[in-house]
Amino acid sequence: MMLQTDIAVIGAGPAGANAALAAARQGFSVMLLDEQPLPGGQVWRAKSTAILDAPATPEGDAGDRLRQSVKRSSVTYAGDARVWQIEPVEGAWQLHMLKGGRTAPLRARALVIATGAREFVQPVPGWTTPGVLGLAGATALFKQELALPGKRIIVSGTGPLVFYVAAEIRRLGGEVAAVVTPNSQGDWLRVLPAMLPRPDLLMRGARWIADLMASGVPIHWRHAVTRVEGGSRVRGVGFRKLAPDWSPIGTSQGLEGDSLCLGNGLIPAVEAAQLAGVALAYHPELGGWVPRHDEDGATDVPGVFICGDSAGIRGAAAAEIHGRLAGLCAAQHLGADTRKERKQLRPIHARAARFGTTMTALSIPRAGLAQLTTEETVICRCESLTRSAIAAEIAGGARSSNAVKSGLRAGMGACGGKFCQTTVARMIAAADGRAEADVPPPTPRPPLRPVPVSVLAGDFEYSDLPIPKPAPL
Amino acid sequence: MTRIYDIAVIGGGIMGCACALRVAEGGMLPIVLDQGDLGQGASGVNAGTLSLQIKRVRLMPYALKGHHEWARMGNAVGFHKTGGYTLAFTEHEAELLYERQRLKAEAGAPISFVSAQTLRKAEPGLTQKVVAASYCPEDGYANSSLTGQYYRRRLQDQSISYHERCPVTAVDHDSNGFTLATPIGPVRARRLLLAAGAWLRPVAALLGVDLPVRARVNTVSVTGRMPPLVSTVIGHATGLLTMKQKANGTVLVGGGWQGRGTPQAGRGQVTAETVVPNLALAQYALPGLGNARVLRSWTGFEANVPDFYPLAGALPGVENAFVLGCVRGGYTIGPYIGRLMGDFILSREPELPLFDPARNFDEEAT
Amino acid sequence: MRLVPDHSGRIRRSALVEFTFDDAPVKGHAGESLAVALIRAGHLHLRDAPEDGAPRGAFCCMGLCQECVIGIDGLAVESCREIVAPGLVVTSFRGRA
Repeated sequence: MMLQTDIAVIGAGPAGANAALAAARQGFSVMLLDEQPLPGGQVWRAKSTAILDAPATPEGDAGDRLRQSVKRSSVTYAGDARVWQIEPVEGAWQLHMLKGGRTAPLRARALVIATGAREFVQPVPGWTTPGVLGLAGATALFKQELALPGKRIIVSGTGPLVFYVAAEIRRLGGEVAAVVTPNSQGDWLRVLPAMLPRPDLLMRGARWIADLMASGVPIHWRHAVTRVEGGSRVRGVGFRKLAPDWSPIGTSQGLEGDSLCLGNGLIPAVEAAQLAGVALAYHPELGGWVPRHDEDGATDVPGVFICGDSAGIRGAAAAEIHGRLAGLCAAQHLGADTRKERKQLRPIHARAARFGTTMTALSIPRAGLAQLTTEETVICRCESLTRSAIAAEIAGGARSSNAVKSGLRAGMGACGGKFCQTTVARMIAAADGRAEADVPPPTPRPPLRPVPVSVLAGDFEYSDLPIPKPAPL
Repeated sequence: MTRIYDIAVIGGGIMGCACALRVAEGGMLPIVLDQGDLGQGASGVNAGTLSLQIKRVRLMPYALKGHHEWARMGNAVGFHKTGGYTLAFTEHEAELLYERQRLKAEAGAPISFVSAQTLRKAEPGLTQKVVAASYCPEDGYANSSLTGQYYRRRLQDQSISYHERCPVTAVDHDSNGFTLATPIGPVRARRLLLAAGAWLRPVAALLGVDLPVRARVNTVSVTGRMPPLVSTVIGHATGLLTMKQKANGTVLVGGGWQGRGTPQAGRGQVTAETVVPNLALAQYALPGLGNARVLRSWTGFEANVPDFYPLAGALPGVENAFVLGCVRGGYTIGPYIGRLMGDFILSREPELPLFDPARNFDEEAT
Repeated sequence: MRLVPDHSGRIRRSALVEFTFDDAPVKGHAGESLAVALIRAGHLHLRDAPEDGAPRGAFCCMGLCQECVIGIDGLAVESCREIVAPGLVVTSFRGRA
């Protein structure tokens, strides 16, 4: 039997969950889907059932409040549900999701996409070594399992996330070998005025940094990890001073550690929106390619709305409000009048977004950081393709993401290009003297996540297969 | 002074590029223009099957020649001659298989019928539920993803001009030839070849010619790397399954199950309604495929006209304009028919006859 | 002096259960992610990259990168999304394509 709902929301982070709640309050049936067992998204990821008791954290509390709200609402939550296909069917949207070892269709009259973000990591030699985790990836371990990737951990990357990760490592009993960040203290001083509207976050960040200093953990400002030593596991890293454009200068220094958390900002996860037919626009200040949308999250595709970080990296606080806007917008599409409420929310969202985009700005890599990727560095992890192989393909005339993907398989592997396409596109743009905005990502392809053939096929009799009439002889 | 090319080719797929290479060999100065990248339409997104068992009887001589072309291109296009089995799972399908493969064998394809025992020995991973099977040692596959890279290199080697992301938006023509409006400015040529695949109809319309071109939206899927499951190209009596495991372990599944969308709208879409039974059929044939994960499904537009035979010849009503496309089995036959078309444009007698685009299309194929 | 308190002593976890990784016994807390249990046990190297055979392990920890894929019941699954359960038989994708 086909599941039906008025509004389907993909992603139950602060944006998606609030979209679902706002739409449900307008009287619509809402189904909220997420890959994780419980709502919260990456930022407010819920603890696993292995954690019986643990001290409270701001993220945990915010997530618990959200989970309570969803539980108390009329929203139907489907956890551990991976949407793998989105298609328009008879004026509605049909989603196909993987849940409990089966695939099931869901039909919705409107669709809210709140798929969040993924991490950008500038490839450096050795970044594929076991023990190297994304910065955001590390936070997933902290929040879900209260676990650490190692005992003596090097934390490296841009923006505020390095300090959150370092603080969490210390809170969970680990040792931070050092924090290595391309940002300078000056970069942070310059954004202080923009942080004043959020004294809570400002104070928290200040405490993280003060704690590192008081405990003698080195903070290497305006530096970057330039290579990972080890082989089958991380043993240490090399790091270097950066020029103002973040190109590496100076001699390499060494650090010992058994794991490395590495990240250079977030990228909107746009594949679901692309599958729904939403066009992308390039907004570097929002993390790169962003589905085209208006301030309330309405896209050019009727009945499809987008919110939160998947609409551009603006952070969790903005995502909550953006979610409500998009949920109300979806309700409007189905006949409710939500104009007044949306009008009230817009300035609140704008304020939160200003703060969020300031943090995003600190996280966005400057051009010189691309020089960390040496000729022999693997860029496409799935297919083990090095920078020199990709450069040769581009030099041979492949001047689009699709062309490099076809000729070389960069983006054809298991991750679907999620961790190489930004680097590849930048290489094409640089080689061809074009703007990054002129090199869009490859054509999106379903499934959004790998799906076992046996799960797709399900139980069937041969005679059930709707085999069409044979081709002309 | 603007350069005047001997011929402008609209469409940088296999046929357009193969024709450009041929006319250049014959001394002409061609230019190739593509709205996207070279070889990224049907030429680059089809399943890459090179199987005589799924070719149309009347096109068999072209397909046999086509196989030789692919064998010659070899590694550069990921060519593998593996042999191929076509399977029937019911008595009805077995009848269909006998009837069809016999006709194809008569047309020159070295197709034979094999016993269940022979099949099991050759492909132990296949289901035991096979009722009948045919075999063709000439069958195999190439990697269609490499089409663009291959032809880009060939054009560069021959110093043939090509422009990607260069859609032709208008065509003027007078007694001196054609002037094409493009993003790189006007392109002038004495002759014009339309080789725009599923986009032939709107391109011909720029010259005021209505070609009855339609498009099928064929779906292809690929899995992650798997241990060896199957070593030959596997088909189905109805033609609705093609499957092969690449050297890297990935398994490619096609067979012409229909997605949605139109070339005019820009892209085709996979639909669960057809991709699911396509993969179920593949798993039925090869049970071990059940453990594989589907990483990507996509569609490609396969152009055709009502009789499902090629358009290959002079464009009706426009002097010095030609059209090439709508070849069923176009991946296999493309390199060869592109060469024939080049000969025709060079005013040489093609080795095999072309297919007059001015013919009457009323007779629907059965 | 520390301004961020150490909470590690205040975390209570579920009982340890045993599963196997390439036939070696591994202990993990029931309900936690397989990736975390494997990391804690020192099994960082979960698979070899198909083309160059280089060692790989958990990277994105959110089910995207496919680097932490392991085998359970013949299926390739992301260890960051699988849950530890007693008696689970886990195989690595090391040493094979």
